[in-house]
Formats: sequence, C-alpha cells, structure tokens
Amino acid sequence: MNTALPVSAAPYPRLRRFAIDFLITQVFNLIIAVLITYVVRAHDSFFTNLVISVCIGSLAVTFIDGGRLLLWREDRPPRVPFALLVLASFAAAQFFGKIIASQLLDIPLTEFSTVRGGNAAAMLIGSTFTFAFIIWFFWSRARMAYLSAAAEAEKARAAAVERQAMQAQLQMLQAQIEPHMLFNTLANLQGLIAVDPARAQRMLEQLIQYLRATLSSSRAEQVPLAHEFSLMDAYLGLMKVRMGSRLAYTLDLPPALKDLQVPPMLLQPLAENAIKHGLEPKVEGGSITVRAERRGDALLLTVADTGLGLDGAPASDGTRVGLSNIRERLQALYGVRGGFSLLPNTPNGVIAQITIPL
Amino acid sequence: MNKIRALIAEDEPILAHTLLLALQRLWPELQVGGVVENGIAAVAEALAQRPDVLFLDIKMPGKTGLEAAQELAEDWPEDVPFPLVVFVTAYDQYALQAFDQAAADYVLKPVSDERLGKTVERLKARLAAHTERNAELERIVGQLRSLVPHAPAAGGERLSVIRAAVGNQVRLIPVAEVLYFEATDKYVNVVTADSESLIRTSLRELLPQLDSERFWQVHRGTVVNIGAVQAAVRDEAGKLSLKLRGRPESLPVSRVFAHLFRQM
Repeated sequence: MNTALPVSAAPYPRLRRFAIDFLITQVFNLIIAVLITYVVRAHDSFFTNLVISVCIGSLAVTFIDGGRLLLWREDRPPRVPFALLVLASFAAAQFFGKIIASQLLDIPLTEFSTVRGGNAAAMLIGSTFTFAFIIWFFWSRARMAYLSAAAEAEKARAAAVERQAMQAQLQMLQAQIEPHMLFNTLANLQGLIAVDPARAQRMLEQLIQYLRATLSSSRAEQVPLAHEFSLMDAYLGLMKVRMGSRLAYTLDLPPALKDLQVPPMLLQPLAENAIKHGLEPKVEGGSITVRAERRGDALLLTVADTGLGLDGAPASDGTRVGLSNIRERLQALYGVRGGFSLLPNTPNGVIAQITIPL
Repeated sequence: MNKIRALIAEDEPILAHTLLLALQRLWPELQVGGVVENGIAAVAEALAQRPDVLFLDIKMPGKTGLEAAQELAEDWPEDVPFPLVVFVTAYDQYALQAFDQAAADYVLKPVSDERLGKTVERLKARLAAHTERNAELERIVGQLRSLVPHAPAAGGERLSVIRAAVGNQVRLIPVAEVLYFEATDKYVNVVTADSESLIRTSLRELLPQLDSERFWQVHRGTVVNIGAVQAAVRDEAGKLSLKLRGRPESLPVSRVFAHLFRQM
C-alpha cells in the first residue's frame, strides 16, 4: 500500500480533506472562544478570545495535517507518534498563534490574560478535555483518510481486474475468428460446392456450429463441458476437411462429466495451437486427442498432438499471448488449485493439460 | 510452340483441386503436370518437371511458398528459363501489401474466375515474349528480396555469445569471433578461425538475433561475418564465391544475394 496509490475520483483529495478539517476547526475555535469568555471568564472580550482561538486553531490544523502527510503520507499513522505530533503542533500553534493574534489585535503579547485563581481548576479540566478532544479528532480524521485511500485502491484494483477480463475476452474472440482461418474455410467450401455438394453442406453446417459456439462461449462465464466438446468437434471437423488425410482426431468425454460447468474457451486455444504449430507445418500431419477425465477432486482436460513438438516450430508471439492468457485466467479463477502445463508427447508432439478443481 | 506446362503446390487437397478445375476451365491448353502438397516436394518436383508456370501456396508444411521460390532461384539450372511464379494465399492484409510492393503475381483464396482469368492473360502474354522469359529469374530474385523477411525483428535481443554443447561441456563463443554460420540438416555449424561447433537451432531463428550490419546472409544456408571476407570471386561460369580471412574454404553466394557484392 505504500507506493502507487491511485488518484481518487474527486480532484485534489488532500486539499479537500484539509478544507474540511479547517472548517471543523473553525467551529471548534468558536466553541473554545465562547467557553473561555463565558465559562472560564478570562477578562478579555469575546472578540479577542475568538481571534486568538482562530489563530491558534488554524495553525494547529495546518501543522497536524501537514505533518501527517509529510510523515506518513496516506498511510495509517502509528498511535503514539501521532499523539506526539498533535501535542507538538498544538504547542507550536499556541506560541505562534498568540504572536500572530497580538499583531492582528495590536495588543502586546504580555497583556494577554493569564487565568485568575478561581477558575484555574476549570481551566485545567477544560484544557485537558480540549487536548483529548483534539487528539481524538485528528486521529479519527487521519484514520478516515487512510481508510478512504485504501478503499480507492481497492476500487482501482477491481477495475483493473475487470478490464483484464474484458481484454482477454476480446482477444479470444479475435483469435478464434481470425480472417485467415475464415477465408481458408470459405475457399474450401467454394471448392466443395462444385465437386461434392453433400459434403459442402456438411462443412457449412460445421462452420455454422463453430461460429455459433464461439460467439456464445465468449459471452458466457460458465458453459457445460459438452458445449466445449461440441465446439472442438466443429473446429476439428472443419480442419479435417481442409487438411484431408493429414489430420485425424479423437474426442473423449465420459458421459458423467458432460454437464460439468467450466469456463469457456479453454480447450479451443490449445487445439488451435496443436494444429497451427504442431500438425499444419508437419509434412506428414498427425493426430489430435482431446480428453476429459476426473482425477480425485480435479477435472483434467488434455489436448495431445503428434505434431512437430515443443522445439519444432518457434512459437509466435500470438501463441505466447494465447497460452499466457489461459494461465492467467486459471490463476485468476482458481489460484494455485488450477494449473496449466505443456509437456512433450512421446514419440513426438505436445501434451497440453489444464487442471480445474471441482 | 510447345505445350505450356504448370505445377501446383497447395497443401489443402480441396483447394488444390479447385484451382486445377478453374485452370482447366480458363486455360484448357495448359498442361498441369501434377499437384504437390508441401514445400519440399514443390522444390523437388519443380526441378524435375521444369514447368513454365508454378503456382505456389504461401503457407505450406515443409517450406513456405517464399522459401520454395528462393530455393528454386538458387538451384535452378542456367540453361532453362525460370518458371513464371504465381503465389496463392488466403486473406492476409500484410502479405498482400508485400506482394503489391514487390509487383509479384498472386491470386487470393477463395479464387475467383475473374481474378484468375486476368492472371492467365498476363501469364500468356509474358510467356509469348521471349525476352521477358529470360529476365524471369532476375525478376523473381528482385521480388524475393523484398518479400523474404530478413530485417532483424524489432525489439529482439542481440546475441553476444553463442553457447554450443561440445561433449559434456558448453563452449562459449563470442559472436564477434564467428566467421560464418552454416545450416546443416537440423543444426547450425558455428565456424571460427580455429573451431567448428554445432548448435541446435535453425538459421531462420538465429538470423534476427544477429547484427545485420555485420552478418550477411549470402546463401539460404550461409550467414557470413562480413569482416572476415577478403574478396568476392566470380568464376568462369559466373558463379560468385567468397574468400575468407583465416579459413581455407570459400563460400558460395547464391543468385538471390549476389547483388550484395556488386562493385561500388
């Protein structure tokens, strides 16, 4: 909390707070002037007492607020040093406030009243209460300042998290329906319509299913696992038409896991990664297996390919962003209980694995 | 005039078939000698068939269309005219800009008859003009120069030391001491005045990490420290090679990079 505190929404929050403190102090000054004049019965007039009180009070509030900001910034001040600051500020304010007041009122400093015998007890009790009240007042103000700064910081953090989530969602959407993929698929469709209309029809259905699933997934927070697998089926089906005999794929979803709710679009980037960097650049192609299984109290999602492998093709920046997005999402959703790993497959290829606590 | 022969390199079978059908429709007398599915087969088949027209998909396994064209430009026999190359690509804004700038022929997937028809007309005209035919190799070399990315990636880190595993130790070789890098099958051979070590990487990955002022690619498989070059020598057949300081062997310069050694 010490560094990088967010700027709060209102302009000049410190100035605003000081102004409020200052105003409250003036009310307080007025009360003290009344007390001194009519209860303690110092021989000076109410006006003289008010001027002295305002001078001392204004200086005190300036010293205390200024000192607090200088010493502790927006942090919560430690109790005893803070009380000392208040006492020192008050003593200094007494001294300098009286000098200023004597200048303003044109009365020599020595002629300011000293309290006469009969009221000494009242004065003692009064000043004790005054001190206690002043310390308590400024202590509370300092605490409020600290708490509101903390609240602002929390608000800013929440906003940042939300922004990150939005950004991830947008990036995912862009990544899924990238123009290159779409146009290549359309080119295949165009070719198929002429030579094999029935297959073209099936491919078009798969494209529609893929687009629909992608769009609805990127809007939902949780989807049934079966939904993610049908998206996988549509995507890999499309890729199968394009790559022909170079691609084979298997989907393995046990019926018991079908209705489990999972965050959307976790499998998709992994499958895309396997195709893009593992199988598409491999001359002889290969296969992809997408599997869900339950292990203890965790759900294990695996995308395994037999492609070029981890050091086969240099990972592009796009891929790294995609994978670090997955890692960040799992971290945000499940903390240390979620996990993502990328391991070499045998004899070749990559196994990408996601762990979700159930 | 002999029959015009073509070769199609496209990894997606339906797209290859579609292009084939469209060509048969728009250019019935064209003889398509076959369809290959990857960049390696494209180079091998093109060298074997020596077609007049070559359709090269950009994104293929094995080698990209650009890499295949570059390799063909380096290995093409002197006495045969270089094929007219048409690149085939799916939508990619940046690739299209590059093709336009290099004035390279390309068709977009999905292929439209109209666009392909125009390409066919242009190809026919260029095939008829014999003088242009002879300049085809230079033309493609010029195009590749601007299409093949060789500028160092912005923001990439510069290598200062090469770490090469030799037996059970890792040898540290200051990059400044390297005379040249030579690509072998899966490795790169790092050659200094008195040592040779293999590192497990590709030239393509290594190149962006080298100072491009100092290290020049002179062949698809060779990057040379230009400070180590004593002279560029042209033999009777017109082939260019580099003599090095401190090494007996000389390095061949491919056509694609020969322009780097023209006299000032």
